[in-house]
Amino acid sequence: MNVRKIITIVEEILTEGGRPVSPAARVAIVAAVIENPWSGQGYVEDLGPGIDQTASAAGALLAPKVLEALGAPAEAYGKAAIVGLNGEIEHGSGLIHTLKFGDHFRKAANATTLLPAVEKRGPAGIVFDIPLKHITDATIRSHHQTVEVRIADAPHPNEIVIALAAAAQGRPQQRLAPLTTEQ
Amino acid sequence: MKTTIEDRLLLTVVRPVITVRCMQQRNRKRIEAGIGIRKLSLYREETVLELGKAPASPVSRASVAAVVANPWVGTGVTTDLSAEVGEVAPLLAKLLTDRLIDALGGADRIEAFGKAAIVGTAGEIEHGGALIHTPYFGNLMREFLQGESIICFADTRAEAGEELIVPMWHKEHAATRSHYQTVSARVPDAPRADEIVVIAAASTGPRPHPRIGDRATDPAITAQTLEAVLS
Repeated sequence: MNVRKIITIVEEILTEGGRPVSPAARVAIVAAVIENPWSGQGYVEDLGPGIDQTASAAGALLAPKVLEALGAPAEAYGKAAIVGLNGEIEHGSGLIHTLKFGDHFRKAANATTLLPAVEKRGPAGIVFDIPLKHITDATIRSHHQTVEVRIADAPHPNEIVIALAAAAQGRPQQRLAPLTTEQ
Repeated sequence: MKTTIEDRLLLTVVRPVITVRCMQQRNRKRIEAGIGIRKLSLYREETVLELGKAPASPVSRASVAAVVANPWVGTGVTTDLSAEVGEVAPLLAKLLTDRLIDALGGADRIEAFGKAAIVGTAGEIEHGGALIHTPYFGNLMREFLQGESIICFADTRAEAGEELIVPMWHKEHAATRSHYQTVSARVPDAPRADEIVVIAAASTGPRPHPRIGDRATDPAITAQTLEAVLS
């Protein structure tokens, strides 16, 4: 796996809706900008070997970093694969939609649910939203949230941005009735 | 319990001045609601490879942005900004440099720095300048990051989500060409019209592969140089 750069973003929300959020709500994102493993190979029928070479290494790289950046136990999480213009979305999906990738994060965060994801193709500087859900129960409504990311010079056409996101809590000022209260 | 910088910014930003001056009703409400600072956003990038080659020294760049209420929204162009500057800017300098130092592994690892402000559309560029261009911010940022240079800057007035490219140069020797570089800063939902995004940025080293010389090695370049190129 050829990594060009590693991006870390940490958001702390101190007020929302005009009211203090205490403790401040924290969301962290760590992204690796990597060379598309299938770059320059045309249409590759079997993505398995490339996935085997890359997905686990990417998960192992990002999982500890995003938890360190968060600085608190993760309660919600999500993932992203943003493919440069010369690649297929299938390439990004191949790298993140495998247990070889996600299990690193699940294990490190004591999580059990599937990671919600965004897969997208675009130019460097594209804005993408990472969806997050609760790490052990994807129906917990308070933890459905989204974080927006932009990396000015990535992905290049032959690159893929692979990212993990973690939140230490649900939405700031979350106050929706739980799913179970609805008929 | 000790009051943290965040507490001060959250709860007491510009309060004394504003109450004395009977600022607009909206501003007073904001202070009462305690929304001096809304959010903080850290962006850090570590260059592992540049054009396939690892830099001689691995460098991290970071920007930290604080979204604060613009204390001068609704005031005129002759308003004296100094009282609020003295109250807010030192807190911002401490808050932002603490996070930069933490993100980059220590003030002694930081080699270059820069600062910036994005003013929401209801404010003046002068309001952003007030928070970053006076000693209440600049001197403290320089001291906390252990620098000596003037701090280079960028500012703009924009809608929420606008990206600003923050220039940085060497913290002790501003003319060190290898350290001329930038890092981006962007908060997706800020600044609102009545907010200011205040940014501090720093880098732990030079550009990935610096090779454009320096003042010490430059030949003398004059208009005659151009004539020689044209001839």
